[in-house]
Amino acid sequence: MRVRWPILLTVLLVSIAPANAQSSTDILISRQLADAEHLQLGVTIKLATAADGSDAREFRIAGIYEPTPDPQRLGQVPREVRLHLPDLLALTRPRDVLAGAEPIEGINVRLKNAADARDFAKAVQAAMPGVLAMPAAESTPAGPFKVLEQFHLAIATVTILAATVFLLALTIMLVDERRETVGVLRLIGLPVRRILTQILLEGLLVATVGAIVGLVLALLSEQLINRFFQWRYDTALVFVRVSPQVAAMCVSIAVPLGATAIVCASWALLRRSGLRLVRR
Amino acid sequence: MKAVGFAWRSLVRQPARTTLGVLGVAAVGALLFDMLLLSHGLIVSMGDLLNRRSYDVRVTSTAALPRSGPLVRQAAATTGAIERLPEVRAALAIRFADARFDGRDNLPLAATFEGITGTAEPPWSVRRGRDPHGMDEVVVSESAAQALAVDVGSTLPLSVRCRVADEALPPLPVRVTGVADLTFELSGEITIGGPLAVLEQACGGTDQDEADMILVVSAGDPRRTAAAIRSARPDLQAVTNQEMLVRIQDTGFTYFRQISSVLTTVTVTFSALLITVLLTVSVNQRLGEIAALRALGFSRGRMIADVLVESSLIVGLGAVLSLPLGWALALGLDDILRRMPGLPAQLHFFVYQADALLLHLALMAATALLAALYPMRIVATLPIAATLRAEVIG
Repeated sequence: MRVRWPILLTVLLVSIAPANAQSSTDILISRQLADAEHLQLGVTIKLATAADGSDAREFRIAGIYEPTPDPQRLGQVPREVRLHLPDLLALTRPRDVLAGAEPIEGINVRLKNAADARDFAKAVQAAMPGVLAMPAAESTPAGPFKVLEQFHLAIATVTILAATVFLLALTIMLVDERRETVGVLRLIGLPVRRILTQILLEGLLVATVGAIVGLVLALLSEQLINRFFQWRYDTALVFVRVSPQVAAMCVSIAVPLGATAIVCASWALLRRSGLRLVRR
Repeated sequence: MKAVGFAWRSLVRQPARTTLGVLGVAAVGALLFDMLLLSHGLIVSMGDLLNRRSYDVRVTSTAALPRSGPLVRQAAATTGAIERLPEVRAALAIRFADARFDGRDNLPLAATFEGITGTAEPPWSVRRGRDPHGMDEVVVSESAAQALAVDVGSTLPLSVRCRVADEALPPLPVRVTGVADLTFELSGEITIGGPLAVLEQACGGTDQDEADMILVVSAGDPRRTAAAIRSARPDLQAVTNQEMLVRIQDTGFTYFRQISSVLTTVTVTFSALLITVLLTVSVNQRLGEIAALRALGFSRGRMIADVLVESSLIVGLGAVLSLPLGWALALGLDDILRRMPGLPAQLHFFVYQADALLLHLALMAATALLAALYPMRIVATLPIAATLRAEVIG
């Protein structure tokens, strides 16, 4: 279960103190902050909430972490520090607030049985008026990812429509180029069904090869796009992933679409007589 | 016959392929138009949103965007001090606080309370009813009115998240004096607005004198006003709307600008490639005809012009069709993207800009030229006698 957002706060880095100067608690810092301030593991630093550095406290860098990629914070370099909650509260507590009376953003609860989440949330809600408790699955809005997925799906649909129209135009032209060949086949006695089967098989073959080439291109561009954008935004976020499901979906759309386009374009030609096709 | 007339007849002679070619360009062109609208649409819309009210300088405690950084302490005193600067006409401190109500089936409903204090106009426009003045009066947004089933004259039990852990305070009954469009309401958000004093009342009279930002109306040049505020209060960040827009441009919305750039490149390349293939196949099928025309005295330049005009006609007709198609598609895509949480409810992703239209037309023209290059080369280097001989023997 989860109550709102986990604690994560960026505090002001004041100065680097000599290591082991005095006892200090451990913190984690983001890779980006470590890079920006040239900080290393084991170094002791001072943190304060005031710009003038007053009431600074010392902390030892126990680890450098890669922040969880967040598409909503794309473009913002995450210079973050992670502290133990008591250290954070001690550092940020206003003078007029008693220790233990500080508000926190939320509490994450792991239940023995995840299926009890809804009942547990109701029980907490009833026992603690004013606290908002809900199962984690319901508390995190699918929001940005869901919306982006719908947006990409809409763009993909338009792209497929455009590609289909072009494909039809191209197949009409390609079939037209084979008018005489088809006419001769009709004149030597091959039935329309036989020629259509051959065309369908050809179409399937061409569409399959096209789909495979497309997938190879996608796999190559996947690396390129991810590397470029990860460099551009200094993030570990994966922008493009050609998953087996995506690949299967592409092939399942492209192959039937290509084969159908070829058969449709050929159908008009095959309805004509053999003599008309060879222009005699 | 002029090149345009000749190319037109060539296209009309093959209606199926011409229609499909034009439709294909229209679909790709629509996508291209949308991506160009998207590339700057957010910034244009955000600029419009920032300038919608008279506030032209925003004061925050740090360089973080409003609602994402630390609060400005002693909001009332700070706002008063800013108001007294000669460069300032009026100022208004605004505080966003989490609020909650009981929804259907007694499930908690999260909302936002916008508390204000100062002399500048409030960040909302009342649709019906009036502005709140008393210590127990609020306005609600249309979405809040619907979600909470309230209207002007209703009473609401307001519970807010206070600065210290006094969450178990009883809710404060507040009266709804109006239903308003709240400028800073986020999409999917339920917003209530009122004096900052209401927030203090709801928190049991404890000090809630903090603000997310202070909105300032300048008496003159906003840049001078921002500089004056920075000089008077060096601990605060004061930025003009234009500077805020640059900051947003640098830190936010980059994903959409990048995806717009990528898709613009892809659509232009895709479109150019396909028109090239269409024209190349078309020219290859008419090699004999082209050689015959050359033999009859048509110049090389004239035949090249025919191919170029043919390409221009396909792309031109497709481009014209792509504009209404693209606009309709933009409305649909905008509707999808505006469901994204955490963005201002009145923000749009696709906004018409004359520059985008001009760039679209320029890119389509470049596509027509690019697509015609290879077929034009075929026509230019076509050996007349050999082609005619091959045609006769074939």
